[in-house]
Amino acid sequence: MAEEKKERSEAESQLKSRKHSIARPVVGLALISLTACGLIFPLVITGIAQLFFPYQANGEIVQFDGRAIGSNLIGNNFTLPIFFHGRNQSQSASHVDPDITLQDAYSQIPRISLATGIPSTSLKQLVNENVEGTFWIFGSPYVNVLRLNLALIKEYPSIYNESLLK
Amino acid sequence: MSSISSQTLEKRHAPNDKMSLWSAISGKTLLDSLLRLSPISLVSNPVMLITEIVFFIVAALAIDPTLFYPLANEGERAYYVDIAIILIITVWFSTFSDSLAETQARNTANSLRKLESESTSKKIIVDEKEGTKKIVETPSSKLQKGDTILLEKNDVVPIDCDVIAGIAMVDESLLTGESTPVRKAPGDQLIGGSRIISDSLTARVNVNPEDTYVNRLIRLVESSKRPKTPNEQAISILLIGLTSIFTTVILGLLGLSIALNLGADLSVLLALYVCLLPTTIGALLPSIGLSGISRLYAIGIVAKSGRAVETAGDTDSILLDKTGTITVGNRQAVEFIPFEGHTEKEVGENAFLASWHDDTPEGRSIIRLAYEHGFIPRELNSLSLAESYEFSATTRTSGVKIRAGSGFMLPKGGLKTGGRERSRFRRKFVQESVTEEMVRGTSSSSSQFSSQEQPPVSPSEEVEILKGAPDSIRSMVKTVPRDFDSLVERISKLGDTSIAIERNGEIIGLIRLKDVLKPEIKEKIQSVRAMGIRPMMITGDQPLTAKTIAEEVGIEEYFAQAKPEDKYEIVQKQQSQGRVVAMIGDGTNDAPALAVADVGLAMNSGTSAAKEAANMVDMESNPAKIIDVVMLGKQLLMTRGAITAFSIANDVAKYFAIVPVLFAASIPQLQALNILGLGLHSAVLSALIFNAIIIPALIPLSMKGVSFKPTDTMTLFLKNTLIYGLGGVVAPFAGIKLIDLILSYLFHI
Amino acid sequence: MLQPIQALDLVLLFAVVLVSSYFLASYIVRIYTRKPSWLDSFFSPIENIIYRVSGVDQDRTMGWKEYFLSALLLNIVQMLIAFIILVFQSRLPLNPQHFSALSWDLAFNTVVSFATNTNLQHYAGEKTLSYFSQMTAIQFLQFTSAATGISCGVAMVRGFVTNSKGLGNFYVDFVRSLTRLYFPLCFVASIILVYLGVPQTLGGYSTVRTVEGATQSVLVGPVASLVSIMQLGTNGGGYYGANSAYPFQNPTPITNLAEIFLMLLIPTALTFVFGQMIGKRRESIPVVAGAYSLFAIDLIIAFIPNQVQVGPGIETRFGGFMSTFWTVVTTSVTTGSVNSNLSGMHPLAILSAFMGMMVQSIPGGKGVGLMYMIMYIIITIFIVGLMSGRTPEYLGMKITARDVKLVMLAFLIHPLIIIVPTVVAFASGAASAIGVSSSSIGYTQILYEFVSSAANNGSDFFGASANTLFFNVSTALVMFVGRYGPLACLLAISGSMIGRKRTSGSSSIRTDSLPFCVVLVASILLLVVLTFFPFLALGPILSYYQGHVNSFA
Repeated sequence: MAEEKKERSEAESQLKSRKHSIARPVVGLALISLTACGLIFPLVITGIAQLFFPYQANGEIVQFDGRAIGSNLIGNNFTLPIFFHGRNQSQSASHVDPDITLQDAYSQIPRISLATGIPSTSLKQLVNENVEGTFWIFGSPYVNVLRLNLALIKEYPSIYNESLLK
Repeated sequence: MSSISSQTLEKRHAPNDKMSLWSAISGKTLLDSLLRLSPISLVSNPVMLITEIVFFIVAALAIDPTLFYPLANEGERAYYVDIAIILIITVWFSTFSDSLAETQARNTANSLRKLESESTSKKIIVDEKEGTKKIVETPSSKLQKGDTILLEKNDVVPIDCDVIAGIAMVDESLLTGESTPVRKAPGDQLIGGSRIISDSLTARVNVNPEDTYVNRLIRLVESSKRPKTPNEQAISILLIGLTSIFTTVILGLLGLSIALNLGADLSVLLALYVCLLPTTIGALLPSIGLSGISRLYAIGIVAKSGRAVETAGDTDSILLDKTGTITVGNRQAVEFIPFEGHTEKEVGENAFLASWHDDTPEGRSIIRLAYEHGFIPRELNSLSLAESYEFSATTRTSGVKIRAGSGFMLPKGGLKTGGRERSRFRRKFVQESVTEEMVRGTSSSSSQFSSQEQPPVSPSEEVEILKGAPDSIRSMVKTVPRDFDSLVERISKLGDTSIAIERNGEIIGLIRLKDVLKPEIKEKIQSVRAMGIRPMMITGDQPLTAKTIAEEVGIEEYFAQAKPEDKYEIVQKQQSQGRVVAMIGDGTNDAPALAVADVGLAMNSGTSAAKEAANMVDMESNPAKIIDVVMLGKQLLMTRGAITAFSIANDVAKYFAIVPVLFAASIPQLQALNILGLGLHSAVLSALIFNAIIIPALIPLSMKGVSFKPTDTMTLFLKNTLIYGLGGVVAPFAGIKLIDLILSYLFHI
Repeated sequence: MLQPIQALDLVLLFAVVLVSSYFLASYIVRIYTRKPSWLDSFFSPIENIIYRVSGVDQDRTMGWKEYFLSALLLNIVQMLIAFIILVFQSRLPLNPQHFSALSWDLAFNTVVSFATNTNLQHYAGEKTLSYFSQMTAIQFLQFTSAATGISCGVAMVRGFVTNSKGLGNFYVDFVRSLTRLYFPLCFVASIILVYLGVPQTLGGYSTVRTVEGATQSVLVGPVASLVSIMQLGTNGGGYYGANSAYPFQNPTPITNLAEIFLMLLIPTALTFVFGQMIGKRRESIPVVAGAYSLFAIDLIIAFIPNQVQVGPGIETRFGGFMSTFWTVVTTSVTTGSVNSNLSGMHPLAILSAFMGMMVQSIPGGKGVGLMYMIMYIIITIFIVGLMSGRTPEYLGMKITARDVKLVMLAFLIHPLIIIVPTVVAFASGAASAIGVSSSSIGYTQILYEFVSSAANNGSDFFGASANTLFFNVSTALVMFVGRYGPLACLLAISGSMIGRKRTSGSSSIRTDSLPFCVVLVASILLLVVLTFFPFLALGPILSYYQGHVNSFA
């Protein structure tokens, strides 16, 4: 009888220690994983990114005329007839699509030409010079509206400085 | 390789007219199938129960559609009646196949009972008033505990009993493996299956035989509460799972139809439901298992459980006894070989004399060979006065001592010996036309030459002739012929056995005995190998002999010089390698192996210990049937799998038939899925009718089993998957379209 | 239809994925079989500290119940932590945009969504979550749910290993998944993504004045670290509401390919891990062949219609081709990230997406996809195996009634938690409350919501517009049951394989043969079609025939 009792109490204490052994790893691992995955990892990556690739890590901010005018990657809303316009943003998935297709760019050439007097052929050439998105057998061509417009300004500073001052 | 189907098996076992499927149909069967329509008896078959419940709902729909508004339409009442009728017929087809299978199983089981009751016992009935004893021939199965029976010489003890009078020698070798007869006196126990070899006994039965093996097993089949085999259980769960999924689907469609106002008709939804349910396999699953057991009965085998039959299909090693399974029970003399200075005739005549009192098949074959060559010894007549030496285990020889020259020459054209000798002579030849009685599957018994006769001793001018194993004879003589050893070895290299003949201390020649293969055994072993099953042979023979036989029938693995006890180890070793082992046995010392083997087939002629340990019994005691059992097991599994796959695959076509018309009123564009071009009403009716008639259409398949050619697993898998899986997808498209054409032609639906 | 060069793109991409994942597989096997390696000198001290602090006995193996319960409990505690962070967001640091706290139901939905590896998002991250929340709630759960999933997958495989003693120790698997698999891979991936243009900063949103003089906010944050785990862990929940369509999350066609690669890498590697771990490499053949044949079928369906370069809902830099391809990939591996707006997808592409989520193992989410494929193999062997005249067996083990029961239960859970809430959403008016029409298109969107939740995929049509009590709670429940229900069933099957008698298997069906792989694919399709056909018929299939008419009639 006494032995039986002893056995039972042993079994009970084992059970208790097992219960304990479930709670401690669970809580312990939850807190450790929170620290490692939620804090240490992103902070380490942030540190390295800021140290080695600050331009990309901060959103590829484009400087023009001494000030930040937008991000290379985010659609910049151009409305003046002298510029290439981005997509109607309610049509894209991100609502900030920075790019347009070549067809879209070509179709805007007559308007820009009319507004600025730059010959269509020059504009077309400029568009072609700024085509990106294809590499080797991958991708289909498009142009980045911000970069294209900045190239336009750079190519014809006199026309654009005058227009922008207006 | 012959294709294994029940038909070929039936042909071989002629008295099975009752096996015929259609003869099982009777008024009783029909009535039984109608009684089974009661929902209570359908509880064990959930698919069919649900089908019947759906029938009740549709019937209510037909009676008063307004109750179900807006899911039903008053104008469609006739259509609801049609659907209800088809539904209840579907259920009836299922109960009908159950009844049919059970009738068939009962019929074959009854024919087995006859096989069993063949053995009779001499029951002693004491008339207490008159004080007289009467002996009545009673079927052994009818004996009760306390009955008194008379056991005479050569009788087999039918059941365990106690000796109450008399003293006799009893052969218990079948039970104990001990070949020496045991003396039994009052107070001793007799074990069922042993054999009286001298004198007679009176004994009292001490157990109740009501539960003889076969009786118990047959009862298993008759009960409709037959336990499900593992595979049946798994399939049932699969069916319940599918049923749950389809229930979810139908309730979901019903909900969507209401929530989105899609206007589906309840009857069409329910029709789709029943079509999707695995009704085909649900209806046939019970009868497939039952008819598998019937098919075993038809070849004279009783299985302890359905599980055993399934396991037989899984076998991947078969342990075959050489003697009795691969070869006929005994060797046959084929040649007399004289040594230098002796003639073939001389050897033949002496062999004749030495074998005269040897009643074993070998002994008989020696006399027959001698007779065919005309080697009839002149000493024939004095044989009645000869002294015979029984086979003894110590000398391993037997023989005869006679007075030479006291007889007369046998005239041409026949024998003019005494009546007793003549009848003996005749018996030796007539015997051959009778089916060989299967001797115990151990080779040691086949080399035991014994005689039970006790003739009077002849007084003078003695000639002693001995025959026996070459090495025994060799040790008994002073001079051995020069080429004795080489000749003996050459014979054993051929896979044959030699017996040496010695006359008055001189070895005069050898008899060559040859193993005779059983008919068709080679083909059977080939088909086993083709199915990826490893055949193994066990024999007490010398390795060389064993090798020759094994090679001849195409067995790579064999165990020579093995004792029955070795079977246990062999089986266990195979199992430890993860193999499923089938074996046969009849002796008590086979019992441990039979018990551990996955499939153990005992011979009905064997001991009750063996029969208890085994999970099947062959009532005809033909060990080669183990191969048929394996094939039947495979056929059973295949049939079950084929109909399951077919049933599930059918659903694709039914979706395409019914889904387009399900929401026909609100979503006409879904007609694009109506690739069969079915009519609005006939689509549902055609699918339902197909769903119903596929059940009786497959009854013959489910009862006779899928026929197949023995080949490897992958080929069978591929072939059956194409026929029943792919066929299951395609067939209903054709079937439903055909029914649709017929309906629109006949009724303009 | 595909142009030849596009087909070439796909072939090349898959070749790269298959080769890299094959090599990764041997590494993964070494992680979980705990073979000594030269990496131990670096990782073991860290792991040992973790084990000591949390009291884990690393040599104790678990049965399936303990393994599952440990995983479930740890996940629940993690959900609680993340829940607290989200509902107290406004009082916590790193909140430069001063976002307010989340409502309890949105927080509940979000933590269940991320802890179950679903990543259904009823919010737009850039407008709702602080940097702290993005890191400690979202990225945290993305790492841990991925580690949980792969651990369970590996545990299931262990049950099939000959002479295995148990399913392993969940805590050890969980820790090693993080230290040796996800942290190293995500580290490399994050740095590359940053280099390719994905932001990683804790500085606030910067405001710029455009050339034309308008003001514009540039919404940056710790994005790269999140994107790496969301793709590698087949999580799919993006930093931004527009997910991988947003340029900061997926700036160029190159990052697009890189992210597709990251999504496919570990699920494909696991198909190889299976064969390597059980010591029969050829047994990976049906898993790989099954997954990739179905992948091919999905792609064919999705690419039947012509691919537009740019249309509504499609980003210019990806075009119709890469957007459709992404959609197929993300639903096949149940990641759920999107690089387009699903409403811009052709009905057949949506149909293909449904297929991916319904099958769940093309090759499926890491761990779980493999578990599903093993389940399909088991049920296929069971249905067709009997026809070869033997009791069906897998890896020499007989398939028992209990196995079939558990498989069928796992199968049943899926339609149940999809169909029931779909009906309820319409019947209760919850669907029309968020402006969903009672049309084939509206129905498709609701069905998609629950299929995606049940499959722990996470892509959806609604985003923040489904942030209602009904959808938050219903999808959370569906995600929870859809994750842990089948997981329990499959671990239970695996647990029962331990110590099961094995036959030599010499004459059972060869699962590594071509015929079996064909039958496997056919039966997976059959099972999915049988379960979901009428529901797909009312949705994308009807939309296809209607040609985008926004009604049922």
